[in-house]
Amino acid sequence: MTETTTASPVEYLKTDELFVNLGPQHPSTHGVLRVGLTIKGEVITKAVPDVGYLHRGTEKLAEVRGYHHCVVLTDRWDYVSAMPNNLVFCLAAEKIMNLQVPERAQYLRTIMCEMNRIASHLLFFGTYGIDIGAFTPFLYAFREREMVLDLFEMLCGARLTYNYIRLGGVMMDTPPEWIDKTKEFLDYFKPRLDEYDTLLTYNPIFMDRTQTVGLIPKDTAIAWGLSGPNLRGSGVNYDARVFEPYAAYDKVKFDVPVGKTGSCWDRYFCRVAEMRQSVSIVEQCLKLMQPGDFAAKGVAKVPKPPPGESYAHVEGSRGNLGIYLVSDGGQSPFRLHVRAPSFINLAILQDMLVGQKMADVIAILGSIDIVLGEVDR
Amino acid sequence: MTAEELYAKFAAQFPKVQKASVEVKGSPAYATLRLNSPAELEPVIEWLKGLGFTYLDIVTATDYKGPIDVKGFVMDPNPNAFLPEGATPQIEAPTATPNYPYREAFELEYCLTYLEEKIKVFLKLDVPRDGGKVPSLVKHFPAADWQERETLDLYGIGFEGHPNPTKILTPDFIKGYPLRKDYVHTPDQFD
Repeated sequence: MTETTTASPVEYLKTDELFVNLGPQHPSTHGVLRVGLTIKGEVITKAVPDVGYLHRGTEKLAEVRGYHHCVVLTDRWDYVSAMPNNLVFCLAAEKIMNLQVPERAQYLRTIMCEMNRIASHLLFFGTYGIDIGAFTPFLYAFREREMVLDLFEMLCGARLTYNYIRLGGVMMDTPPEWIDKTKEFLDYFKPRLDEYDTLLTYNPIFMDRTQTVGLIPKDTAIAWGLSGPNLRGSGVNYDARVFEPYAAYDKVKFDVPVGKTGSCWDRYFCRVAEMRQSVSIVEQCLKLMQPGDFAAKGVAKVPKPPPGESYAHVEGSRGNLGIYLVSDGGQSPFRLHVRAPSFINLAILQDMLVGQKMADVIAILGSIDIVLGEVDR
Repeated sequence: MTAEELYAKFAAQFPKVQKASVEVKGSPAYATLRLNSPAELEPVIEWLKGLGFTYLDIVTATDYKGPIDVKGFVMDPNPNAFLPEGATPQIEAPTATPNYPYREAFELEYCLTYLEEKIKVFLKLDVPRDGGKVPSLVKHFPAADWQERETLDLYGIGFEGHPNPTKILTPDFIKGYPLRKDYVHTPDQFD
């Protein structure tokens, strides 16, 4: 509002372009994200996401740490689902070192990644409800999420940063009662998914609110390099678990849920549908898993892989998480690059928000499901 | 399509683009190629896009100057400072490996995916460390936008034709490019 004193009443009422700062301290940005929005009336004309508040330089830090130490750094990227982070680094390092992982460890890795996917999608389910204005689902989602985290705590002592998947296998085998407790949880959890559907997924108000906003056409989604539920919500069937099976994913059967229109609701729906698939994968793994070694024997305390390069990618909870690793034969990685799905998914925001209504910003931002620790690394 | 078929197609279309000496390990469906000059980048990318490589996975770079300068770290570089001697093997400061091809260059890496054929191609391109410039891929792949900004921020490689070539991850007061091997931290208001 500039120079309003001399303006005529008509000019006074005229709509100016207005700059609105969203974040960095805002409950709906899920971390320290700032979006500079220029609005004209209710319509956004320009959106500039500003990231980097949480940049810790883990790629640089990895260059003076041993390979075992780097697993600790990976936990800090996507702290909501740290198991896939552990896994992808270990896969890349194992490829460069030619390590063979025992079969039980493969199943354990698969189980942990899927349990973590459930925990992560539950967080999304709860917070997305809050973003839209439904507070109740959050309480239900966190009730179940606590149970998964308790299982992880029982398994490895940590609730968020697990450091459980190690080079050549996993940290340790499951405690004796862990498998029964997990089965108990899965039996408890399956009917809850139907509850979620009645509570939020097929709630008419929620559907009206999300089905028409934030549309990403198929080609746009591919061009912007989206991955995970964001890409699949637009109808592209790209899942690293199928594209290039790792761990024990080639031994289990599962569907990849795919959306139709690429709206906020489609992305939400892909995540909720993925939780069902995760439950099924964990159940199959628990059935197929045989007693055996949980880690490869003879993994060096200070690994010095031969010079070379490797790339590994997994389907993390947020999308296609990749590691490009270069070794020069030393004790530390010569170069560690993370293809962080949240970072690449978030880039589309500057394109997507233009032309949308101010009131839909949070609905769209929430549906992309970012974790700022992974955006900034 | 297999990696071998892709190499054959490349040899027919771009005879100068060679299979890289160091291949990216990971899957038999990964092809690794080395470009000779930045001028080759855009024709190759356009051709690959026409072939079906519509998904840009990564844009990044590696500094091949040599072992890292530990002065680039604010903290004590010894990661096991709290452990008693001999408890865990200590990691020494990185040293140069004999016979490793260190060179005064950045190597840019591009990775593209053919979603239907389940194949990935890695393109490598050397640019000089001082004033290295490559054409930006934003007009072909919007996905390159932030990844190129990240590479610019951390390595100082210029991307010609980028619509918004600004810092993205590091704060404005950081001087230098942190992922360069010879980066030395300049004390700022937080030290």
